This record gives sequence, structure tokens and C-alpha cells, in this order.
Amino acid sequence: MEGLFFNIHSGYVEGIVRGYRNSLLTSSNYSNLTQCETLEDLKLQLTPSYGEQLANVASPFPTSTIAAKATDKLVQDFRYLRAQATGALAKFMDFLTYSYMIDNVALLITGTLHERDTKDLLERCHPLGFFEGLPALCVASNIEELYSIVLVETPLAPFFKDNLRSADLDELNIEIVRNTLYKSYLEAFHEFCTTDPELSGTPTAELMSEILGFEADRRAINITLNSFGTELSKSDRKKLYPEIGKLHPEGTLMLSRADDPEAVRLAIEIVGEYRSFFDQGGIGQGGGGIGGGAQKSLEDVFYQKEMELAKDTFTHHFTFAVVYAWLKLQEQEIRNITWIAECIAQNQKDRIGNYISVF
Amino acid sequence: MSGAGNREAVFPTRQSLGIMKAKLKGAETGHSLLKRKSEALTKRFREITRRIDEAKRKMGRVMQIAAFSLAEVTYATGGQIGYQVQESVKAARFRIRSKQENVSGVQLPAFESYITEENNDFGLTGLGRGGQQVQKCRDVYGKAVETLVELASLQTAFVILDDVIKIVNRRVAAIEHVIIPRTENTIKYINSELDELDREEFYRLKKVKNNKKKALDEAEAERAKLKEQQGEQLTISGTGSDEPADILADEEEKDVIF
Repeated sequence: MEGLFFNIHSGYVEGIVRGYRNSLLTSSNYSNLTQCETLEDLKLQLTPSYGEQLANVASPFPTSTIAAKATDKLVQDFRYLRAQATGALAKFMDFLTYSYMIDNVALLITGTLHERDTKDLLERCHPLGFFEGLPALCVASNIEELYSIVLVETPLAPFFKDNLRSADLDELNIEIVRNTLYKSYLEAFHEFCTTDPELSGTPTAELMSEILGFEADRRAINITLNSFGTELSKSDRKKLYPEIGKLHPEGTLMLSRADDPEAVRLAIEIVGEYRSFFDQGGIGQGGGGIGGGAQKSLEDVFYQKEMELAKDTFTHHFTFAVVYAWLKLQEQEIRNITWIAECIAQNQKDRIGNYISVF
Repeated sequence: MSGAGNREAVFPTRQSLGIMKAKLKGAETGHSLLKRKSEALTKRFREITRRIDEAKRKMGRVMQIAAFSLAEVTYATGGQIGYQVQESVKAARFRIRSKQENVSGVQLPAFESYITEENNDFGLTGLGRGGQQVQKCRDVYGKAVETLVELASLQTAFVILDDVIKIVNRRVAAIEHVIIPRTENTIKYINSELDELDREEFYRLKKVKNNKKKALDEAEAERAKLKEQQGEQLTISGTGSDEPADILADEEEKDVIF
């Protein structure tokens, strides 16, 4: 039923996205890239996908240029899609940008706290997370102003409102602020996908709740693993776990009590899908050590899984989730290219195969 | 070293000869001491050069690994964390202390690094993703900085030692080729002057003695002559009167000419 009227509003965008998906690099492209000897060769190999952006790059260029140019392309494509989107899809795509906004806002808050030149900060912001009120954040000279005048006007206001007081911004570590925001963002996005009248009961809701659930679980596990040995207390840690996903509630409860990676393993073993993750990827500290060769870290396993989810999404029709999936795939592609470029630039060919390719 | 030209401006006296001899002795002792110092320093210098070579090679490797681990962080976090790390650092975690090391009288600074473990300012960076890579990258860079510190302390020692060795060698050469020959020249000069004086003195004495002898001889001859004349007068006066001639009364006495 939902397929009947989907194309009236969103058919064009979906078509475009599927077109974009087809232009993503495939494994054979990647294997060509890994054969490159110099960045110059790499640039040549990338010409079909990124020719337009890379055409004007002067010859000795750092690897970050490639990443920056690829991101430019991503942003350009995304903006085009966003301009075409209407109704629920527009809102959906806005939600996609919120995660970048969180990063940008966190960056600006850090800058404001340390009284940095904010013009400088704006250049470092991710273009996808740029919104109208963002430069206004620079105007605020202290945290109190920032909170009461500027932040309430941003699209992120609901996430701030429920979770953080103005004093928190000053006292808490910015990483905690960021993760608190991210948690409420994930929850809000999930709620939007499952309860919005246009979306509930559609494949979008189904797919997105799976993807977002995975994202939430991944964050919960990562936060737990990364918080060992830091000043983050267990109760504070618990507050950072999103209340969605397969691990919620028993898994997150166990995670919140975990003291070491072994306890994390026990916690996530209740979910069948995650059980194998720890076996595949060496646990935290040991994983992906220098010269560890092809051994994958837990992060890599998560990325792999995320990419598989994104790939599967494209098997469904009439859903907004493809936009999300495309965005993630494109991001992963940029990371892959950067990784390969780094490996070539630093002459570390033995680990060049650590990229994740799904097509 | 051209003989008389190169000497110190001293009066050729016996006292300054004594001073010069002491000076020569001092210079020779100093020369041998400095020479030994220079040798010790050179030995140390060679060792440091070797260690710098090692450290530089090690640095190359470590920096490569470190740069690569940063690439891993970029891959895992999917973005720039540099700014955040920069802002959240409050106090140095990696510190060095400097101490002095004494190598044959030269103070060489040695840097010693240590890590303040409790200082973990950006422990939460990458909490959501990539945190482990961030921590690992930090450790690797910590090691890289350690190597750099080691290299820095070696390089400083290298520069200082280089200077000191140059100075010491210059001193050794100066003593060997300037001070010692000059002092020797001076001594030679003083000796020759003193000999000269001795000879002059001897000659003068000889002359004086000659003169005196001549005078003495003349005086002797005069006296002999006088005696002779007196003998004649005595015989003449003995015939004229018995009383001795009154010398004091006799006003018309002839002047005595020597």
C-alpha cells in the first residue's frame, strides 16, 4: 500500500540515490586503488568518481586534500537531494544532518570555553552540519549566553533541553555532552521514524529502527570499552546509553556494570548477532595493534556490519532509509580512500587491505 | 718562531729567568693535561655521534609508526579530532627534567623524560567511536616524543662537546706552538744576555786589573827611581852637614811628577 503513493513525492529522490549508489566504488575499483604506487596514480584511478573535484588539485598534495575533496562531493550531492525532498523525507534528511550538527556544536562549545577565535572554528565544522544559527554560536561570549540565547534557537534545542543544564556545559567534559546529545538524537530519530504518521508501518520505520538500533548498541559498547580507565563513573556512563536497540534494556544494564572487556563480552552475548563480534575482532586493547597485520579491531567489525546493513537497505523499495544508507556508504568510501591514500603516502602497503568494501 | 723576535718583553735578569723557567714548566704540565682532556672528550664525542646515528634511525621508524597510527585514528573516528584534543589538554602529560652530567669538566645537559600517568586529559576523546585508537595513537606518539627527547639531549651534548673540543684543541695547539716556544726563546734570550753581561763584566774586570797592575808597576818604578835619587842626595848632604835636611823647612823642593 505504501508503495502506491511513494513515488509521487519521493520517487525522484530515491531514483537519484540509487544512481549515486551505483557510482560507489566497487571491490575491483578498490583493488585497483591498492595497486597505486603514488598519490598521483590514486588520483588518476579516482577520476571516474571524483574527477570533477580532484581535477584542479595541484600535484604534490596531502592525503587530507583527497578526503576534503571527496567530502565536498558528498556534501554537494546531499544538498541536491535535500533540495528535492519534501514532507517527511525533508524532515528525515534534516535528522541525518543533526548528527553532524552535534559535532559542530560540540566543537564550537569547546572553542567558546577556551575563548578561541571562532572564525577559525567555523572553518573546521563539517559542512553537512552547518545550519543558519551556527555562526551565531560564535557571538556568545560565555556559556550562559550560549545556552539561553543561542542554543535554544538551533535545531538541536530539543536535545539540549531535556538533558543538559547550562552549568553542565561548563562542568562536564565535552565528550560527555556530545554523547548525551547523540543519545537523545538517536532516540528522537528513532521515535520520528517509528511514530511519524507518514512513516509508521512503512519499510522505512522497519529498516531505520534496525539501523538506529545497531548504531545505538554500537555506541553503548564503544562507550563502555573506551571508558575503562577514565574518570567516567558507571552511573554517568549509564546515562550515555541510548534507550533503543537490541541491547536495551538488559544488555545496557549489564554494560553499565561492566568493569573489563570480558564483562562487555558477557553483556553483549545475549544478542546473537553480536556474539561473534568479539571473536572476530580482537578485544579492545589488543585489537589492530601496530603491525597486527590483517587482524581486525572491534571498530572494524562494527563498520563492516554497518556497511552490510546499509547494503541490505538497498534491497528494499519505497523507503527513505536508502538515503541514510547511501550517506553512510559514501562516508565509508571516503574513509576507505583516505586510508588507502595514507597507506600509499606512508609506504605501509602491508595494511592497505584494511578498508571495508561491500559492493 | 724566528729566534729573538718572538719573545716576551722582559728584562734579562736572573729573577725573570726564574719566572720564565717556572712558566715553561707550568705550560708543559698544562699542555699534557689539556691533551689528555681533549682525548677524553673526543672519545666521548665519538660515542655520542654513534648514539645520535642510532637515535636518528630509530626516530625515523617510530615517527613512521606514529604517523600511521594517526591515520588509523582518522579512519576509526571518521573525522578530525585534533582540535578537540588540543582544547581538552590542560597540563602536560609528558614531561622532561634536565640534569647535568660532568664529562672531564664539561657540563653536559641530559634530558630525562617521564610520563605523569594520572594526567589523562583527553581520555574521553572518541568515546563514541575510535577511543581505543586515540589512546593507542597517544601512546605511540608518547614513544616518538621520548625518542625525540633522547635525540635532543644527544644533539645538545654533541654541539656543546664540539665547541669544547675545539676550544681545548686550540688551547693545546696554542700552548704547544706559541707559549712554549716563546717561553723557551725568552729563556734562551735571557741566558744569552746574562752570558753577555758575564763576559762584559769579566772583560771589564780584566781591564781594570790590567790598569791597576800597570799603575802599580809605574808606581814601583817611580819609587825605585826616587830611592835612587835619595841615595845620591844622602851621599851629597852627608859630606855637607851632619844634621838631616829639614824637609818641612825646605821650601824650594821640587814638585814630584809621576
